[in-house]
Parts: sequence; C-alpha cells; structure tokens
Amino acid sequence: MMMASWRPGRLGMMKKFRAMLALISGAAVLGASGVFASADYETEILPILEKHCFSCHGPEKQKNDIRFDTLSTDMINDRPAAETWHDTLDVLNFDEMPPEDEPRLSDNERRTLIAWLNHEIEAVVKAMKSTGGRPVVRRLNRIEYQNTMTDLLGIETDYANNLPPEGLSEDGFKNNGASLQMSAMQLEYYLEAARMAMGKAIVNGKKPEVFRHVIEESNGTAGGKSQRGRDYSNTLSRTSFFLGKIEEDYHEHGEFLVRIRAKADLKAGQGYPRMEVALGYRVDTLMPERIIDEVEVTSERIQTYEFRGRIEDYPLPSRVQSKFPGLLIRVTNVYDDGSPMPKQETVVLEPAKGKKKAKTEKVWPEEPHLPTIEVESVEFAGPVFASWPPKHHSDILFPSKKRQTDERGYAAQVLKRFMHRAFRRPVEAAEVEPYLALFDQVRGTVPSFEEAIREPLAMVLISPDFLYLVEPGGEEKRPLDDWEIASRLSYFLWGTMPDERLLTAAEKGQLQKKGQIKRTVATMLNDKRSWDFVDQFVDQWLDVGAVDRVAVNPEFYPDWNDDLKPSIREETKHFFAEVLHERISALNFLDSDFAMVNRPVAMHYGLDESPRGMKFERVSLPETSERGGLLTQASVLLGHSTGEDSHPVLRAVWLRERLLDDPPANPPPNVPGLDSENPDFAKLPVREQLKIHREQAACNDCHRSIDPWGIAMEGFGADGRYRTEIPRRDPEKKGKMFTQPVITETTLPGGTDIDGMDGLKTYLLEEKREQFARALVTKLMTYALGRSMELTDEDTIDQLTADFIEHDYQLHRLVQEVAASNAFLTK
Amino acid sequence: MSKPWYLDRRTFLRGTGVTLSLPFLECMSVNAAAAPRPKRFAAVYFPYGVSMNGKDEHAKWRWFPEGEGADYQFNESLKSLEPLRSDLSVLGGLSHPNGRTIGGHDTADIWLTGAMLKGAQMTNTISLDQIAAEHLGDETRFRSITLSNTGGVGEVTRSSTLSYTRTGQPIPAINQPRLVYNRLFGVEKGSKEEQRSQLTNSRSMLDLVLDHSKSVRGKLGKRDQEKFDEYLSSVRQIEERVERSEQWLDIPKPSVNATGLHLDADDSTPEELMKTMYDLMFLAFQTDSTRFATYQLDNMNGATSIAGKFPQLLGFGKSSHSLAHGGNKPGGAEALGKWDQFRAKQFSYFLQRLRDTPEGEGNLLDHTIVMYGSSNSNTHNNKNYPTILAGGSQLGLKHGQYHRYGEDTPFANVHRTILNRLEVPVDAFADSTGELEEIVA
Repeated sequence: MMMASWRPGRLGMMKKFRAMLALISGAAVLGASGVFASADYETEILPILEKHCFSCHGPEKQKNDIRFDTLSTDMINDRPAAETWHDTLDVLNFDEMPPEDEPRLSDNERRTLIAWLNHEIEAVVKAMKSTGGRPVVRRLNRIEYQNTMTDLLGIETDYANNLPPEGLSEDGFKNNGASLQMSAMQLEYYLEAARMAMGKAIVNGKKPEVFRHVIEESNGTAGGKSQRGRDYSNTLSRTSFFLGKIEEDYHEHGEFLVRIRAKADLKAGQGYPRMEVALGYRVDTLMPERIIDEVEVTSERIQTYEFRGRIEDYPLPSRVQSKFPGLLIRVTNVYDDGSPMPKQETVVLEPAKGKKKAKTEKVWPEEPHLPTIEVESVEFAGPVFASWPPKHHSDILFPSKKRQTDERGYAAQVLKRFMHRAFRRPVEAAEVEPYLALFDQVRGTVPSFEEAIREPLAMVLISPDFLYLVEPGGEEKRPLDDWEIASRLSYFLWGTMPDERLLTAAEKGQLQKKGQIKRTVATMLNDKRSWDFVDQFVDQWLDVGAVDRVAVNPEFYPDWNDDLKPSIREETKHFFAEVLHERISALNFLDSDFAMVNRPVAMHYGLDESPRGMKFERVSLPETSERGGLLTQASVLLGHSTGEDSHPVLRAVWLRERLLDDPPANPPPNVPGLDSENPDFAKLPVREQLKIHREQAACNDCHRSIDPWGIAMEGFGADGRYRTEIPRRDPEKKGKMFTQPVITETTLPGGTDIDGMDGLKTYLLEEKREQFARALVTKLMTYALGRSMELTDEDTIDQLTADFIEHDYQLHRLVQEVAASNAFLTK
Repeated sequence: MSKPWYLDRRTFLRGTGVTLSLPFLECMSVNAAAAPRPKRFAAVYFPYGVSMNGKDEHAKWRWFPEGEGADYQFNESLKSLEPLRSDLSVLGGLSHPNGRTIGGHDTADIWLTGAMLKGAQMTNTISLDQIAAEHLGDETRFRSITLSNTGGVGEVTRSSTLSYTRTGQPIPAINQPRLVYNRLFGVEKGSKEEQRSQLTNSRSMLDLVLDHSKSVRGKLGKRDQEKFDEYLSSVRQIEERVERSEQWLDIPKPSVNATGLHLDADDSTPEELMKTMYDLMFLAFQTDSTRFATYQLDNMNGATSIAGKFPQLLGFGKSSHSLAHGGNKPGGAEALGKWDQFRAKQFSYFLQRLRDTPEGEGNLLDHTIVMYGSSNSNTHNNKNYPTILAGGSQLGLKHGQYHRYGEDTPFANVHRTILNRLEVPVDAFADSTGELEEIVA
C-alpha cells in the first residue's frame, strides 16, 4: 500500500496529534525508549530488592557495606549512591548476584531491574556530561575548514588533505564541539596548509607567460593497465579513449585550464555519455593521475567544456629523468549501460613489405547501441589568470600608495583587513600587534615584502580566532552579538564563513530580531551554498556514508556495480533537498509517492520512468511501487547490510537511532556468544537464526526490541533492490548457493503485528509520526548548535516539535524556527 | 687507549653545552659492545577477539595453542609464527580488571592504558608507548609514531588510536602511508638555510600565538577553557617538535628504498595498506627514526571503521564484526579462524623482517619488544585477551612458551614487564601488581 504524500490540509488528524503530544510530553517518555521506559521505584523495583536483596543488604545485614533499603535513588545528586547502583548493574549483568545458593531472579525481575538501572544511570551520565545547555568552544571541522579556506582565499585546492580524520560524537555528528579534538599533529598540518595557502595566494614577481597548446588528435600512449583495455581515439566509447600528450614547456605552478571541444552521438533509450578528464603522466606501465572532473555531454553540436585546477595539485612528471616525458590528459567516456562487454575480434593485417607472414591484430567491435563522444580538440593553458596580480592576491595586498611610503603601516592595514575576514568579526588595532611583530622579524631576512607578509598571514590561519568559533562568555548565559550570529548561521547553513552580505548585516546590527533572522535563513537556504547543509546534515543524521563501509559481494549480486555508491549517497541528499525546498511535509521521509533519482539509480531500482543523465530528478512512483520514503533507499538498505545479505539488526538500530531517536543500549560486557548446537544453523533463514538468538535471556533482553524492525525490512536485499528470495550459501556443500523465501511478518515491541515494509511504514506514520517529528527536531538542533541535546533543552524541543507538527511538518519552517530559537542565539 | 673520534655521548653533550639531548650518531656507537643499543617497543592491536570455540573438525581454528608451557602446539591460525617460536611467548587468560566491567565494544581505548572508561568517567590515561617515549624518546628524530587503518582519534570508547598523552588526550593516528613516509623520510622543501629560517619563524610564530591564545582563554567560560587547553598544549607540543627539527636539521633524513612500498594504498587495497604500514614501522626502527610505534588494525566502531570491510574485500566473506559474531556458529569458527590466520601471517612477516636485520650481537627483533593482540577474546567478551609478546631477547625477555594466567593477574603486569625491560624508571603501571616472572630471563 502506498501512502499519499503528506501535504497540508489534514487538520483533523493534526489536532489529534497535538493532543497526544500534549499528553505525553509531560511524562518524558517520548525521548526515552518505548521499551525501557523507566519503572516506578516504589511499586516495581523496591519489591524485587526486598524479596531478593534485603536479607544480606538490608536493615539486618549489610554485606560488603551495601544496604539497599536506605540507598538513595537520587543518583544525580548523590554520586556515591550512583556508584553503588552502577556496581549493582554490573553484578546483575555478570549474573554474580544473587549468589548461587539463593533463589534466582526471574527473567522478568532481572529485566525490570536492569532496565531501571540503565535508565537512571544514563540520566546521571548525561547530567555529568552536561555543558549546561551551552555549546563548547568548537573548532572548524575538516569540511568547514576546507570551505572556509577556499572562500577566504578564493583559491580552490586541498587544504585539509593531511588533517587526521574527524571523530564522531556519540550521537553521530561531526560538528560537536566537545568531540572535535585538537592535537599537536593537527596544528602542525594547519601550519603547513597555512603556509602552502599563502604561497599560492600571494604571488611574487613578474607576470608569467601563459603557455597554450592545442591537441587535435589523441597522441599519447599509456602502458599496461593504465590503458584500461581501450584503444586510442578521438571517438570516446567503452572501448576507446583520448590521450593527449604535452611535452612542451607547460607551467608547474598556478591555475590551469583544459578546454575541450566535443559533441555527443546520442542513442535512443540510452543516457547521456559522460566525459571524465584526468591529468597525469606515464611511468612505464603506470599512469599516476588525478581526475579533474566529469561532465555529461548532452548536445549533438560541438560545445566547449572547461576544466580548471591548480597544476601543483596534480601528479607531474620529472623534467630530468623521465623515460616517458610529458604531461598526459586523459579524456574518457565513462558511460556504461551495464550490458556485457563485447569480445575483441582478431583482424588479419596485410603482411609488411618483404615479410611473408601476415600479422594479426585484436580490435574491439563497434557498439552502435551506445552513446559516444566525439572530441574535436583539447586545449591546455596555464598559468591562467584574469588579471595580474590575480584577484586572490590583490584581495589581500590591496593597491595602496602607503605601500611605498610606509611599508609597516601598510602591512598593519593588510593584516587588519585580512584578520577581520578570517576572524569573522571586527578587529582592534592592538590585536594586530603580535602579527606585526612577526612581520618585523621576518622582513629583514627576506628580500621582498610579499615573502615577509606571508608569514604573519599564515599565523592568522593558525590563530584560535580563525580555527575556532570563539564566543567569549562567563558563567552566565548571554545573547550572542551580531557577528557571532552571522557565524553560527553561516556554519549551520553553508558550512563556511559568512559572506560579505552577512558580515554587512552583522555590522548594521540587522541580525538581532527574530523576524530578521528568519528572513536571513530563507535567503541563505535559497543560495546554492545551502547544499552544504543538505550534504552535511544528511550525511550525519542518516549516515549515508555507511555504504562506503560495506563491500558488496558480487557472487551474491552479480549485477552490482560499485560505481553506484556515489549516486546512492546522493539520492538521499536530493530527496532531503526536495522536501526542504519544495516545502512539503517531512512525513515524506517515512513514505512518499515520489523518488529522487538519476539514471543509474532509476535503472538499479527498475523504475519505469528514468532521467536521462546523472542529474537527480523527481519521479512519481506508481501506486504499486514498493518504494517511497527513506526506508527503501539503497543508502539505508546497503549501508546496514553485510554486503551479502540484509542485516536486520543493523537496520533496526539505524531506524531506532536515526528516525526515532531511541537508540538501543550498547552490548553489555561479557555477553555469551551465540553458541548454537544446531548443525543446520547456518542454513536457517535469518529470521529463525535471530529467534534462536533471542532464546538466550541475555540476548533477548535487548534484541526483542531490535530485531522485529529489521525483519520487516527483509524484502530488500543488501543491494537495496526489492526481492522475494534470499540468496544463501550452504557451508556444508562447499558454499553452493541456494535460495530462501523472504518472510517479513513480525511483531513489533508493544505487540503490533505488521508485515513487510508497507506495514512498517504505515505503523510509523500512524503510531510514531510525532516521535519521528521530535527525533528530527532533536537531530536538527544537535547539528545547528554543535552540541548534544540535554535535559534542559527538552522544553525548546517540545515547543519546536509542536510548531513543526502544527505547520504540517515543514522542514523549511523548522530550520528557520531553530535558527530563531533562544538556544541558537545565546552562548 | 685513546679514542680520537669515538666520542662519549656525555662528553659530547657537555662540550657543546646543548641542553636538549642529541641524536644518537653513528660515530658514538662504533664500539658496539660498549654502546647501549636502542630499546624499542611496538604494539599492534585488532578488535573483536579471535576464533575460540571451534569444535571437532573446527577445533584446529582455535586461536590459542594446544597444550601449555614449552610443548604447546600452534593451531592453524598462528602456524605462520612457528619459525619465530623461540622469539615469542603466547599469553592467555589476561585482561584489564577495569576492562572486565565496561561495554563489550568499549575496551580498545584502554588496551595500552588500563584506565577505567565507564559512565561519566571518560578520561583515559597515558599509554604504555607514550610513557616509554617520554623517557627514552629523546634520541631519535621522532619520539614515537601512531598509526591505524581508520586514522584520527575516533570517539571515546571507540577510538581509532592506541596512543594517549600524559593527560589522557588521544593522539591522532595516521592512516595514509604516504604521510607516514613523508614525515619519516620525505625530503623537506627548500635549502637548509631556508628551512632554518622557516623553523626560526615557526618558533616566533608559535610564541606569539601562545601568548595571544592565553588572552583568548581568559575571555572564555570555564568549560570552554578546559576544551581550549587542548589547543594550548598542542601549541606547546609543536614548539618542542620545531626545536627538535632544528636540532636535526644538519642530519639528513635517512634515505630508504621505497620500492615495494604501496604508499598510495588505502581502504580499497587493504592487504597492501597493512603490509606497507608494517614496512614503514620496520623502516622507522631500522633507521632509528623512532623507537616507539603503535598500530591499530581496526577499531570496534562499526559506524566509522573503514577497516571493518577489509575481510570482505580480501575474500573472507564478512565484515570483521560479523566474522567475530559468527565465531560460535557452525562454520563460523573456520571463517573467523582464516581471518585470524591472515592477520597473523602479516604480523609474522613484520617480526621476520625485524629478526632478519642484524643489530649489535643479535638482530633488530632482539632489541624490540612487540606486543600483538586484542582486548576481546571473542566479541563482547572482555576477558582472556589473545596476546603475543615477541622480541626483546637482548632486553631480558625469555621466550618459547605458552603461559596461561588467572584473573588475579592483571594485564597491566605485561605493560610493567615491558617498561622494566626497556629500563623505563617507573614503579608501576596502571593497576599492575608485578612482572610476569615467567617471561623474564
């Protein structure tokens, strides 16, 4: 069954949900686990303790100095008591208490005690980690740093390459101040990147000569594997590519431009051919290279396509000792419709002069059904610049007469201007002093002003004011000033520094009123930079990167192609962007009557309607489609699979963690492994294996509330395709493949029987929509604020959730409301 | 007998009036017998434990050997270590008492530290390699190197590094072989003079940044200040690095043959990646670029580990976590055992390279203590760590046996034994109660 898309107008239902929300929000059950909701101490816990524990740890005896009848249950305020309760949890988990000669706890008693303890201790831990509802000073993460450097300097290059990978916060975010670490090595690479950046930004010396070279016919050779089994040609197909060689005096520093004139030969029923361009060189049989970009060639008339980069970012041949001198430009058509590759044919050639024996050659047959690209010419030029010195230079070293009359005064001006942009706030004259001191020191050691100013500019880029979002503050909360708001908004919605417009708004004091902020947010979401918000938030909220951590086993999925992975990740982001920008209900995340797909994804899903190219487009899903919403997207299904089969447990954990904000507890220490005596275990359906797993009390405690969610999703394989059979391998018959039917009937915690993905979606929409809404609000707040949500945020989350539901689950409005919330606007 | 140019290190230091110690120059070590040989330590960690409970025909896939003492028999997983039998000890039954009570996936962080990491108590303590590097790391270009396949620090209880500073801060691990190579052996840009003046600039820059940062700190709230101290201590630490680089400026980096190193290996080519990481550790030791290295093969974080899929890519069927979970199921013991076997083969390759390189009267391995193992026996089980202690025969370790211990012996006794053999002057380590006498010569 397909749900209709959730558009405005269902007021009757909305009212009902509002009433429900009001009812439950007081009880604080929403955010907590529906299964492990806290028990009442007096009526549920105390009787168990009385029955089993008091005889040794009560009024009469206090073995080990532990006494439960007087032990405080206010764990947040009584830390020693909390420690004792924690120890109690341990001995229960290890089954060390009650001792062997005493009556055992029933499974139910044990479960109740453990659930209560887990719940209470979790609250203590949260309280201890509390930042008092304020974000901790946070540094820019890798992506924010890369974006900020690019925007600040106006040069696109890799700044973050050597920085260590970022850790995740407990709730899965990469912009959480508390979990973003600083280390000596990190700072060392910041300094290296800062100097590298200044070496590029500030040019020195005369205007360089521009080198231009046009190649009209493929003239290069690669060896071995780097030829990829293709012939050289100006016609680009699956079996041929263009390789241009430049031996002349190309530049080795600065921006380059590759300009390709080409047209497509399109074919009915096929997508657009895709032109991938790479730059590199040849070493014997290898070709070290780096891809510049890929574009779709959609026109059958000659068009010019431009590709730009910084040449020093690309692998370059040695000028002195290369056996294969010259720069290589590889132009390849990477379009592939997935049909089997043809076989090479042997052609007999005319015998060479004076030779009797005819030579043979292997050639690829034509593939007339596939689209090709015809290359007319490839031009290489560099270094290219619109003016000299380039804009990125004169933006920092602005023209001024002062430079001649008062070099030091000029340096101070340059630094102050640069610091203003880098620190994202006004800069006092006194703040420039340390940077100027460095300038003074360096100036005497180098011949030119340019060389001297690079060092203090680099120092700006390792200063905490640049690397961190510094928000001074005392013990009291305070409202943010305009500049701080500009930065928070900018990093929230663009993942980079504020632009001129935002800084001007800050300067004019136009970011204080909530109405102004909401309007600013709307403008910012309209800007293409807001893709960063979509990209980063979806990546962190839904963990679409999971697909890269799973390797698909081709024996189980012979049609699978790893090139799909980037498209699969993008699908979910475009889906989110559609819901955001088209201002439709966020309940579309739970189910929708449309999908956002490009050609490879549409083909993979077997949709009737497919875009022609790599661009993601909205496609209506027929009533009968099994797809719709997030749960049927391959990013979720593959990311939480084994690569051979689904992984119901991982999928279930994903659903509870990401969509319901109700993550199951981590595995306790020393749970016994699943030790099955059943020799046929490996042949059993996953559903049965999980059932055996749950027969053990230690496993069942957690898994009974996990597994059913995943079983409902069994109709989809690891590859994200719908399936009716599950491919399995028989370990006893040398891994011979066999199939099992899909069974998706299950009973959710709480007792609702559902069947399959449709049943699951209906259940979520009918029973869990407000919990989903609250989860989404919580995740969005976590991302916007760069910190984990705490008890003190409950009120804000409740209000935002109520507003979100009241306004038809409109994400666009929610983003504005979050930005205008007091939590967002205070330090 | 006069020794015109064989300088005694102490004399040399006195003569030049340098306060920091100097690199261990070859001219000081011609008399091999008299000169102290470098003492080294490496640690290699893998997550989720090993194949333990194979029955009947699958019993041969149990990681721990059959028998005990000197007469033990390797099962299939560790057979590749047979040639190194006299250079290693297999240790069973050990675990960190603190680790026994914390989450089943939370113990990788404390393998080298022994700290308690539970509830609100989330600050680690200094790791074994860093204590050793603190005391003995002055003589090499790098105090230590920290590697892992995932890289960075990861998150608390799911860290992707094994090394922690004195204040319990995780040290980011490098996961790109090229970056390791460039640090250790790469040629610096510019002439020596240019490098020197850049180092001078760095020093001034860091001084100025440090001063300025202290004033920034003063304006922050209390919790911000605590977090911001990471930045301040990082600045101080790279000041030390700059100083060390200045000291080493006149001594060229060792040149090594990069043939056979897969410097661009990444998570799509796991076998090359791991081999190259082992090679780089070996080269770092051989060239005496550092004496302390840690290498985490994988962490226990399904959500961030890029190494979890390695066994899938290498044809072992499942992700490392799934293999470990399947270890008790029929057929699972063998699947996991084969993965154990693969890892042991790579480890054995590393040990053999060390052993095949002569040094002093023995070889590199004799002067290097290598610990290999996990903080799970099988998944979620924080007891009975599979552990191999290899090398260090010239440092006073005695090998050739399989020793089993009870829970009354804390794992930190291994750490203490190692520190004592390295002659690091510490009285205890974490909750250690003594040395493992069985492996001390």
